Amino acid sequence: MSSPAASPSELLKKAAAGDQFAWNAIVDRYSGLVWATARAYRLSRDDAADVAQTTWLRLVEHLDRIRDPERLGAWLATTARHESLRMIRRGGREQPTDEADLFEVPDGDAVDRLLLDQERDGKLWRAFAALSDRCKTLLRILMADEPPSYEEIGAALGMPVGAIGPTRMRCLDRLRRTAGVAELGA
Amino acid sequence: MTNDHPTNSESQDDPLLADLRRLAGVVDPVPDQVTAYARAALGWRRIDAELAELLVDSQLEAASTTRSVSESERTLTFRATDLDIDVELSLGDDEIVLLGQLAPACTAAVDAQRDDGSTVATVAADELGRFRFSLERGVRIRLVVRREPPATPVETSWIDV
Repeated sequence: MSSPAASPSELLKKAAAGDQFAWNAIVDRYSGLVWATARAYRLSRDDAADVAQTTWLRLVEHLDRIRDPERLGAWLATTARHESLRMIRRGGREQPTDEADLFEVPDGDAVDRLLLDQERDGKLWRAFAALSDRCKTLLRILMADEPPSYEEIGAALGMPVGAIGPTRMRCLDRLRRTAGVAELGA
Repeated sequence: MTNDHPTNSESQDDPLLADLRRLAGVVDPVPDQVTAYARAALGWRRIDAELAELLVDSQLEAASTTRSVSESERTLTFRATDLDIDVELSLGDDEIVLLGQLAPACTAAVDAQRDDGSTVATVAADELGRFRFSLERGVRIRLVVRREPPATPVETSWIDV
C-alpha cells in the first residue's frame, strides 16, 4: 500500500468537500491502525468490525471539526480506543475473545497455507501468542499496516509515548528468547 | 535494537516486527467489508445538517458505575447548538420502541436513517416536540430532525439500538 503524498489536512479538507478519492486515501492509510486498535483490545473480529465501522462514521461526522488535522491518525486511534472500551462496557455482542484463542487464526486455510507450510512463521506466531497480554497488545498495534507513529500508538492504547519504546524493546527481546525463535535468524 | 528513542515508523523496522506485520496481514487482516463500509461512509454525510452529539447514554453510565441496569430501558440525550433531543429506547416484543422529545419543544419531521443510506421511517414531532418510532433490534441508526425553516436540520450521531 503506497502512501499518498498528500498530508492528512489536505485529504481532510478535500474529503469534507465530498472528494471520494481523498476519503479513500484516508481510509487506506489508517484502516490498519483502526483495526489493530480494536483487535488489541481483544475484541472478536465481529465486534472489532463494529468498532471500526463506528470509528469511520465518527470521522465522517467530524470531518470539518478535527481540531488538529495533521494528527488525524492519533484522533482515529483515540476514537477507536473509546469505541472499543464502550463495546467492552456494553458487554459486546459476544464476550471478549478467550485468552487462548485471542490471536489464533480465524481462517484455517490461511494458516495451512502460510503458517503450517512454513515452519518458521508458525513458530513465530505461536511464540507471539504466548507473550504476556501487555506485549501482545502493544505488538498488535505495532503490526498495523501502515506502521503507526508512537503518538498514534499512545493514543490507541492510552499509554504514555515514553513508555512505548522500552516496552516494545522488552517484548521483542522476550519474543527472540522464546524457544524456537532465536534460531530462526530474526 | 537500533535506536534509543525511536519516535516514528522509520525506526520500527525491526526485522522481527516486519515478520509479525506480514503474518498479521495474513492471519488477521482488515475485513474487506470494513474497508468497503468505511469508504461508503462518506456518502452518509449531510452537509446541510448540524450534528447533535451524544451527551448521555444511560447504558454506558450504568455499566461504568456498576449500578444494576434496567435491561428494558435506555435513555440518551443528543445536543446541537439550539436543540436537545432526548430519546428513550424500550424493548417491545421483537422491536425497539423509540420515544423522542425535542427541547425546546417544536413541530418537526423526524427521519430514522440506517447506515446503509436508507430511511427506516419518517414521523412528525407534535407541538410538544414528541415523536415515536418502532425499530428493528440490533440496527445502527441516526435521527434527522427537520424543523420549520430557517432552523437548520439537525442529525444525531449514530447509535446502535
